[in-house]
Amino acid sequence: MLLSQRFWLVFTCLAMFQIGTMQQLFAEGLNEDDFRRLHKELQQSTDAPWKTIPWKIALLDARKTALAEDKPIFIWAMDGHPIGCT
Amino acid sequence: MLDRESTFAQPEIVKLLKTKFIPVALDQAYQRRQKDAEGDYYRKIAGQGPRSNFNSTTQGFYIASGSGTLLLYNNNRNPERVLRLMKEKLAEFEKLPKTKAPAIDASRVDEKWNPKPPAGGLVVRVHAKVLDGYEPTTDRWKAIFQSAMSRDNLWISKSETAALARGEVPATLQQRIARYHLVDNTRGEPPMWNEKEVRSIDMQVKDGKITGTVHLETADGKRGYQADFFGVVELKANKVVRLDMVARGKFWGSGTYTGSPPPGKFPLAVSFTLADGSDVADKIPPQASRGWIRGYIR
Repeated sequence: MLLSQRFWLVFTCLAMFQIGTMQQLFAEGLNEDDFRRLHKELQQSTDAPWKTIPWKIALLDARKTALAEDKPIFIWAMDGHPIGCT
Repeated sequence: MLDRESTFAQPEIVKLLKTKFIPVALDQAYQRRQKDAEGDYYRKIAGQGPRSNFNSTTQGFYIASGSGTLLLYNNNRNPERVLRLMKEKLAEFEKLPKTKAPAIDASRVDEKWNPKPPAGGLVVRVHAKVLDGYEPTTDRWKAIFQSAMSRDNLWISKSETAALARGEVPATLQQRIARYHLVDNTRGEPPMWNEKEVRSIDMQVKDGKITGTVHLETADGKRGYQADFFGVVELKANKVVRLDMVARGKFWGSGTYTGSPPPGKFPLAVSFTLADGSDVADKIPPQASRGWIRGYIR
């Protein structure tokens, strides 16, 4: 088989696989197996580094602790809550 | 989103925040507007930095003493730079004169900006993820966005919870889910849907299984979502003890702060899980309720 024929064969197979995957993702309906798989996939990992930081969400609570422990406050201030939105 | 996977994934920064700082995460759109003790304290700190106009965003990283002296404002996300600045400001903090901080009356609370979850209702964790469709990238920042999973909370009222327990999904809850929680918020703050953009939604509960469909689309057709639902509701002593659900379908379009979506129509899934209070983020009000709780839920 010529090199160009091999290329087009591989390209066509990959394209068909990709189309097949997308069709599967766009499939009508959602069955219980899809639900279980997706629900498990769409959960945050509790051991992600940012999740292990003991974030407070109340500034005056942070102030009180900072004064008691003689530590500075680190404020992560965003548009939309940085740990609860987006 | 970027900070979670870059700045706050840097091991030394994580260690410093755990041991040498008191870390606090805020949606500053609340604190810069609050007419209460927390708002006053936030504006005292932020007002010492370059973003002292409280009619616009003050987002960034701040380091301050408990008595309110600003040591750092930084809005650069380079982890190496943030780490260097944290070390420098920690040294500056050690040299600050130890003065007694003035007392603050924390009981003064602006109700508009401190909404509470509905009594007798439910808090549900909501996560969204783009399942496929992005162009491949080697760009570090784009890659973070492309694999990102969002987080928000859905609030359900006491009467809606009672309806769920009877095997019904009330229209008010269907509308709230559609308008405020079936959004692509994986790359930033998303546009919500208005009433007219909810072309149809139909959710049912039968034998503890939730099924349904939804069609959301803007008038110009440039943004939309068509999806199916599947979920499970479980009761114990007539109380909802499990509420797991997924919406999956094709999404298209973007918003002002959610640019660079995959081209064309792409698969987006949104999951719903009853919150158990074990995550500090369970306490954060829904994004769509910001300053407008009565519009979000009654």
